[in-house]
Amino acid sequence: MFKRFRSLLRTLTGRRGFEAGMTEELLFHIERYTEDLMRSGASRQEAARRARIELGSLSSVKEECRDARGLHLFDELLREAKYAARLLRKTPAFTATAILTLAVCLGANLTIFSAIDSILLRPLPFPKPDRLVTVFNTYPKAGVERDGSSLTNYYERRGNIPAFASLAIYRYGTAIIGDAGSTEREQITRVSPDFFSTLGLGPAIGRTFTEQETTYQTDSVAILSDAYWRQRYHADPHAIGRHIRVDGLPKTVIGILPPGFRFLSSEARLYLPLASRAEDRMPLQRHSGGNVTQMIARLKPGASLAQAQAQIDTQNTTLEADDPQGKMMADAGFRSIVASLHGDHVASIRPTLLLLQAGVLTLLLIGAVNLVNLLLIRASGRGKELAVRQALGASRRHVVSEVLVETTLLTLLGGLLGLAAGAWGIRLLSALGADRLPLGSRMAFDARLALTGLAAAIVMGIVLAAPIAFLNLRRPLGGALQSESRGGTSGRAAQTLRHGFMVSQIALSFMLLAGAGLLGLSLNRAMAVSPGFRSDHLLTGQVSLPGKNYPNGAARLAFVEKAMNEIGRLPGVLSAGVVSNVPLSGNSGKSAAKVKGRIPRPGESPRGHYSYWVGGDYFGAMGLSLRAGRFLTAADSRRAQRVCVVDEDFARYYWPDGSALGQRLFEGSEERGDAEAFTIVGVAGNVKQAGLTDDAAQGAIYYPYVFRGDNNIFVVVRTGLPPESLGPALQQVVRQIDPDLPVNDLQSMDRRVADSLVSRRSPALLAGLFSVIAVLLTAIGSYGVLSYAVAQRRREIGVRMALGARPDQIRSQYVALALRLLVCGTILGVIGAWLAGRAMATVLFHVPAMNLAILAGAAGVMGVVSLVACLLPSHRAARVSPMEALVEE
Amino acid sequence: MSKTADLLPGTLDMLILKAVSLKPLHGYGVLLRIRQISGDALEIPQGSLYPALYRLETQDLIAAEWGQSENNRRAKYYTVTAAGRRRLREETAGWNRLASAIAAALNTTSEEV
Repeated sequence: MFKRFRSLLRTLTGRRGFEAGMTEELLFHIERYTEDLMRSGASRQEAARRARIELGSLSSVKEECRDARGLHLFDELLREAKYAARLLRKTPAFTATAILTLAVCLGANLTIFSAIDSILLRPLPFPKPDRLVTVFNTYPKAGVERDGSSLTNYYERRGNIPAFASLAIYRYGTAIIGDAGSTEREQITRVSPDFFSTLGLGPAIGRTFTEQETTYQTDSVAILSDAYWRQRYHADPHAIGRHIRVDGLPKTVIGILPPGFRFLSSEARLYLPLASRAEDRMPLQRHSGGNVTQMIARLKPGASLAQAQAQIDTQNTTLEADDPQGKMMADAGFRSIVASLHGDHVASIRPTLLLLQAGVLTLLLIGAVNLVNLLLIRASGRGKELAVRQALGASRRHVVSEVLVETTLLTLLGGLLGLAAGAWGIRLLSALGADRLPLGSRMAFDARLALTGLAAAIVMGIVLAAPIAFLNLRRPLGGALQSESRGGTSGRAAQTLRHGFMVSQIALSFMLLAGAGLLGLSLNRAMAVSPGFRSDHLLTGQVSLPGKNYPNGAARLAFVEKAMNEIGRLPGVLSAGVVSNVPLSGNSGKSAAKVKGRIPRPGESPRGHYSYWVGGDYFGAMGLSLRAGRFLTAADSRRAQRVCVVDEDFARYYWPDGSALGQRLFEGSEERGDAEAFTIVGVAGNVKQAGLTDDAAQGAIYYPYVFRGDNNIFVVVRTGLPPESLGPALQQVVRQIDPDLPVNDLQSMDRRVADSLVSRRSPALLAGLFSVIAVLLTAIGSYGVLSYAVAQRRREIGVRMALGARPDQIRSQYVALALRLLVCGTILGVIGAWLAGRAMATVLFHVPAMNLAILAGAAGVMGVVSLVACLLPSHRAARVSPMEALVEE
Repeated sequence: MSKTADLLPGTLDMLILKAVSLKPLHGYGVLLRIRQISGDALEIPQGSLYPALYRLETQDLIAAEWGQSENNRRAKYYTVTAAGRRRLREETAGWNRLASAIAAALNTTSEEV
């Protein structure tokens, strides 16, 4: 079988040589036979004649030889393709419309599919990636859906969960790398020693971390990513053993990761051991993970996720039984969830992607319907020719294969152009922020995608050919010959099919339009939400103070004071402040607080609140509104006053009737001595901390900066100038105070607000684009169908007009037909829009699945567009001249 | 002409294999050789010779190569391949079994029944 295929391939590639050789061989035969015949006495002429007769017709012998070689089918295909190409060239308008339609629809599908493929479908780049899971803590009743895992969790679980073959913990972060004066801030990840073995992929050169390297005294080692190794050491294999300064401390390079190593969406350049003290691993710290510390594990072969979950639940129950906090955690709904690592990582984006794919598939469907309609019209036009050929003996197989070849040729051409459109679309998608999605940077135009596109084009060709071939075969021959020659009406079946397709097209476009409208309205409502602060003229940037140079609150405060002073003196600066974490930065942490003297109501769980540590004139710079009391000032930090400001949500939750001012609270979930209590001195307006669409009234507390234990701060500066222009000056001021400190993540607050909506804006934009294309396609389709209906009935119209029908009667007949189809399509569309809206409920913000204004708008757009598309042909019908129409044939 | 016999279906391939197994031949040579080794008793329909050659070549039972003919012309020469030789042996054995069985059947007299 393989041999035969190879011989066919050989023949095909040397096709010209094959034909020439065959001719030469046969002519040689004839010549030799002629000579032999002449030798036995025949004249040259007679001999040549007999030789030719005995061999038979040269062309039929050749044909049989080609057959013997298996070239027959190929030849037929080639002939049909040539014929189809000629026909397509004869109708450039049709061909261009069809190819463009296909290119746009396939391109859009490829674009979205590339996102789906890289984000949802392609497995993570580790061995047996489906065995990798993540474990995180959740306290749903306290309003904390997700809180990572703690070091205590890790040390308690390691080796004690039989379903796990391996367990590891890691913490994302940043560090200042390099020597004084030439420092850069880089993404790093701190990991437990078993991190790489859990993933199943470790350093290509060197070794991984050991258990001994997990204390602060022994953790001076680092593993480099391949990219960082190439950048910093120019891929020097002797980089192992070299020293590198991280946050001012020397680290020895012990390993280099392989080039393909990418943990989820991490951009980490450096991996460090996750060091901790013994007290960090105690039961008291069990619930202090925070979202930056995450756990991964590899399931044992044969163990299931459900088994792991059950074992974790059992262990948690046992541990919490002895824990003094156990009762409170149970009240908060505490549980540790085991989830697939890949699935969990992309869970947030999954519904949007699937929705967009559904949208582009709808677009493809509309495009396909358009093509079928155009092809049906085309086929009707060729009905007579086809009938004649069938009457003359063209086989059914032949009729089908001809249609198949033509449509496949068309879809392949469209598919090729669609590949180009897809490549462009992927660039557009990246520009819209898709490469910042989880795993989005894996998105690329590759061979896999190109093959998918071409396969889809071929499948479409076959699918499109089916109705045409069916109709061609079904048509009674005599009828076709007659009806066409009389110029009468076309077959009822074809007409019903065309109208049905037009209705479905209108319905699908309506659905897409309504869906895009819902996304747009939802975006609009999100944008209309007040963030609770003034985002204009506000510059924000991140500074991290390394623990080595800034070991305590006093040192950090000294830096903040100095920086505030210097920044305040910059021209154009109105006010400036610092905060542990700006709103909308994407990592708003919640932590517990205990109100002094408050006895929880029965069934009430402790609540997580957004907690901020602020210095300088943070409130003034942000433009927060004051509801009662006063804001915190720089003096509060300087004097280490135990005071705080809460927001309205917080005040309303704990003191719905009274005033929050003068009340006292403790940081953390326990009540301690009075000396540690913070007195509430002010109530500020609510701020959208985690996102504009975050509706939960979680409550927020602002503490003076000096009480903060962390080293990451955001600087916020209000200015009268365009905020970005202040960036260099800000960086310079910070470098002057400490040459080792870069300012990162410099962005205007407006930009942060806009970015926080990117997951709503981009899908809405794309859906809008898709629905515009859909409406355009529908207009083309409607126009085509009605134009054809008019053209086909020219004669009938002519007769009616000759008998006295008025032009406006003719016109209104066609407008009525268009209206009837439009109404049917719209009714179906409303049903579709309702279903689509329900499917979209999870991604909508403050918009119900059925919005009357949107439905009316969609109906309006569809109505106007299809009526315009139909008016032109109707007009043409009314202008038919009876004389011409009757004389024509 | 009355002495020539019509070819039984399926025997042409066997005869071609036999002919080219003796010596590499061009198409016309195959025709002459078969006529010669059958003692002028078998006449090959010329129109089916070449399709048969191409079929056998596609099946890799014979191989073709361009060479010089007796009168110094370019001609395509066919040789038998190992697979072709094996096929020829099988077909010859099969044919001999069939022929002797048919001969035995036709030679039966009434006494032997």
